[in-house]
Amino acid sequence: MKFAHMADCHIGSWRDPKLRDTSTLAFCKAIDKCVTEKVDFILIAGDLFNTSFPRLDNLKAVVTKFKQLKDLEIPVYIVPGSHDYSPSGKTILDVLEEAGLFINVFKGSVEDGKLKLNFTTDKKTGAKITGILGKRGALEKTYYEKLILDNLEKEEGYKIFLFHSGIDELKPKEMENIISQPLSLLPKGFDYYAGGHVHIVDDKQIEGYGKITYPGPLFPNSFAELEKLERGGFFIVEDGNARWEPIQIYNVEKINIDCNHLTPEEIKNQIFEKIKNKEFNNTVVLIRLLGTLESGKPSDIDFKEIFNFLYGKSAYFVMKSSHALVSKEFEEIKTDARNVEDIESFLIKEHLGQIKLENLTLEKEEELIKNLMKILSAEKQEGETVPDFERRVKEEVGRVLEIEL
Amino acid sequence: MPYSLLLGGMMVKGQVISGEFGKIIARQKANENIEIGELLIAESSDGKILMQVYDLVYGSQISQQNLEMISGMRLEENTEFELFDANLRNYMLAMMKSLVTIKGKNAFVSKSLPGFFSEAREIKEDDLSFLTKPKNPLFVGNLRSGSKILDVPIYLDGEKVFSHHILIAGTTGRGKSVLVSDLLWNSAGRGFGILVLDPHDEYYGRNKAGLKEHPNKENIAYYTSRNAPIGTNTLRISLDIIKPHHFDGVADFSDAQRQCLNLYSKEHGDKWIEAIILEKDLKIGKVFKDDTMAVVRRRLLYLLDLEFLNNQLFCNGIFQLNSGFATISGICRHLEEGRIAIIDTSNFSGAAELLVGSLIANEVFNKYKNYKMNGNLQNKPVISIVLEEAPRVLGKEILEAGPNIFSTIAREGRKFKIGLTAITQLPSLIPREILANMNTKIILGIEMKPERQAIIESASQDLSDDDRTIASLDIGEALITSNFAKFVTPISIPDFEDVVKDILNGKKEFAVEFSELG
Repeated sequence: MKFAHMADCHIGSWRDPKLRDTSTLAFCKAIDKCVTEKVDFILIAGDLFNTSFPRLDNLKAVVTKFKQLKDLEIPVYIVPGSHDYSPSGKTILDVLEEAGLFINVFKGSVEDGKLKLNFTTDKKTGAKITGILGKRGALEKTYYEKLILDNLEKEEGYKIFLFHSGIDELKPKEMENIISQPLSLLPKGFDYYAGGHVHIVDDKQIEGYGKITYPGPLFPNSFAELEKLERGGFFIVEDGNARWEPIQIYNVEKINIDCNHLTPEEIKNQIFEKIKNKEFNNTVVLIRLLGTLESGKPSDIDFKEIFNFLYGKSAYFVMKSSHALVSKEFEEIKTDARNVEDIESFLIKEHLGQIKLENLTLEKEEELIKNLMKILSAEKQEGETVPDFERRVKEEVGRVLEIEL
Repeated sequence: MPYSLLLGGMMVKGQVISGEFGKIIARQKANENIEIGELLIAESSDGKILMQVYDLVYGSQISQQNLEMISGMRLEENTEFELFDANLRNYMLAMMKSLVTIKGKNAFVSKSLPGFFSEAREIKEDDLSFLTKPKNPLFVGNLRSGSKILDVPIYLDGEKVFSHHILIAGTTGRGKSVLVSDLLWNSAGRGFGILVLDPHDEYYGRNKAGLKEHPNKENIAYYTSRNAPIGTNTLRISLDIIKPHHFDGVADFSDAQRQCLNLYSKEHGDKWIEAIILEKDLKIGKVFKDDTMAVVRRRLLYLLDLEFLNNQLFCNGIFQLNSGFATISGICRHLEEGRIAIIDTSNFSGAAELLVGSLIANEVFNKYKNYKMNGNLQNKPVISIVLEEAPRVLGKEILEAGPNIFSTIAREGRKFKIGLTAITQLPSLIPREILANMNTKIILGIEMKPERQAIIESASQDLSDDDRTIASLDIGEALITSNFAKFVTPISIPDFEDVVKDILNGKKEFAVEFSELG
């Protein structure tokens, strides 16, 4: 048995025009690799798209690849991730599944208020696959708490569990603020646990469970991820051994400057010192500045000149991070390195329970707020008229609030 | 019932006849029963005086010689011989101390004696209207008068008592565990961060009634190294986060051995333990004797439950090479968010348990120090660290070897909203200045005089007459002495299993909609 495990493709994640198609490109490369490797099937552990309604050009490219896999009789099994669903429960994944392009393995029934999952059996290999989707704010935890384990743990054969959640015991130190759940919520006795959501590459054999893996994203999704991972990738699993297959789209060059006791001019000179003798063909250049300036302010650094120089040396894309760079007079300004989602979650949690409504538990209130925030931050889709957009938002709000608007 | 037995409809139990301030003597009324620890009320010109009985002695109108003669006639000659009326001749005398003077809904320290022949009546709930619910209420039990439990709940201000340390002292079997279970139960969901190092794995209730049944169980995190129940955490701690100072008070390294730990930590960073065990070189060459290195290596392997075979390092216990990187920070986050974190340490060695405690306590203490420095401390919940067998880290002998994080918290923690809840049956082993810093003491029955003495000498209120009261505390009975209580408060500790049973009877399962299920 040979299969591929990918996750966190986040197609459409980069907003900048130069990187906008990169995740799609990485996805296409990964699928091509799966085809040449002749895998029996492909697993996608959530967050195929970055939004529930991706851009049409990205969608078209992805559908083309799925169609190719379908024609080659390479089935794809997925669970949706926290980015795949709209708050009202709609997702383009339903349409793609309906078209037979893949199978969502989050399937089962509700028995006495508990969740009973069914296995989806891969026809060619007999592998039995099931899993649980990921939701925003790790709200899928309640699904695990209500999960019937008996049928899952007693089932015989080669079993795969797809999940889209962080695991407390396995997450790295730098992700300590990411909401995660205990290992004990996963059903035991599966041969392979195909994880997603946490953007790390990890492969561990855990006593009582089995192989628990995270392939990381197909292409890094942020400055920090590019810095840490440099490239994305996925696992090819053959005879129980997982091999990480990198997807190289661009080279990455990192320039870190400790700016303590330096003036803006000296910083610029240091950067030039580091780049003057290098070429940057097809390279994403990351400039990270941190510390306290001796004089002046961060905006005094002539980034335009630096960027122009780098583009002149064929850099594909140049990015800078200077949020940890402060002027002496503004040193007291606090920065928070956590991502936006975590900060939102933190703020929501801090203010929960202030509005008393009947039957509104704190969990429900949290979910409601997150869903409303997501709906109200939606952007008008390509080709969508303003009235249609307003109607869509109104309908979704109505559905979430369970009222007619 | 004759009128004289009632005082405004309330039962008279005796009459004040003599004594002095702090030792008021009352004659017990015939057919009434006064108990040690009983609360009585006497009227004075200032208001009502709340008194507590601390001793009982026999009194008689007949001389000792005549009493002996009467007894002899009964025993030897079977002859009934009586002097005076039966109700008048022999009686009990109760020694009482005044606790507070009550005026309306206020209570003050007593400064006068009740009047001569004041009637001492039994206490009623109405007398105690001055006992109001504090701002951050922590229910500790119902008020007890002798062995009678009153329908008067006693609340302490949780924020104050937790940050100013609590000592729970009592002989084995007198209800320390039940009391701690009750305190944890009553604290859950109230915004107090409580770390429990649980060497008997008894508070979560893996196989019995416990905090897992709490209606706010989302505020309770449980970490265990073996077979974690569903929804709880497997305790794994990365070796990378251990620093040499975490061993302070946990393991006794010699100066040379400690230098070795520090030097390796400085040079090899997070991987210093691996570096020592794998015998990696230091840049400055060979500094330590082979014997020193061998001992350090052996002790680290033992303390951390590691194995070194075929030039490879294996982790057999909770300390791991490749997992548990965010465990300590995760536990601290629970505490900072006002949750209870229970760490099952039942299958650890004592040193490993203390090391885990030291790792968490250090992290949380440093974080709170930073919050104070940045002006954010007021937004953070109070944190208490529950330590069983507290003399293991707060004992005189241990502290002679140097301070550790727990003794630092005992001395400075309250400035940073961090306190200890120290549990022991041997309080005399804890230095007096630390005992005196524990501003709330919950005292259960203690049989050994030196242990009672240690408590009495360091109590927040005067317990000098309460030696017998403490010795006579039955299972489930306790005395609270606290800077934050108006008087030494006798309480009855609720039976924890009954508390849980009541909740389970009314428990409703929450419903989940699996709307995305295909």
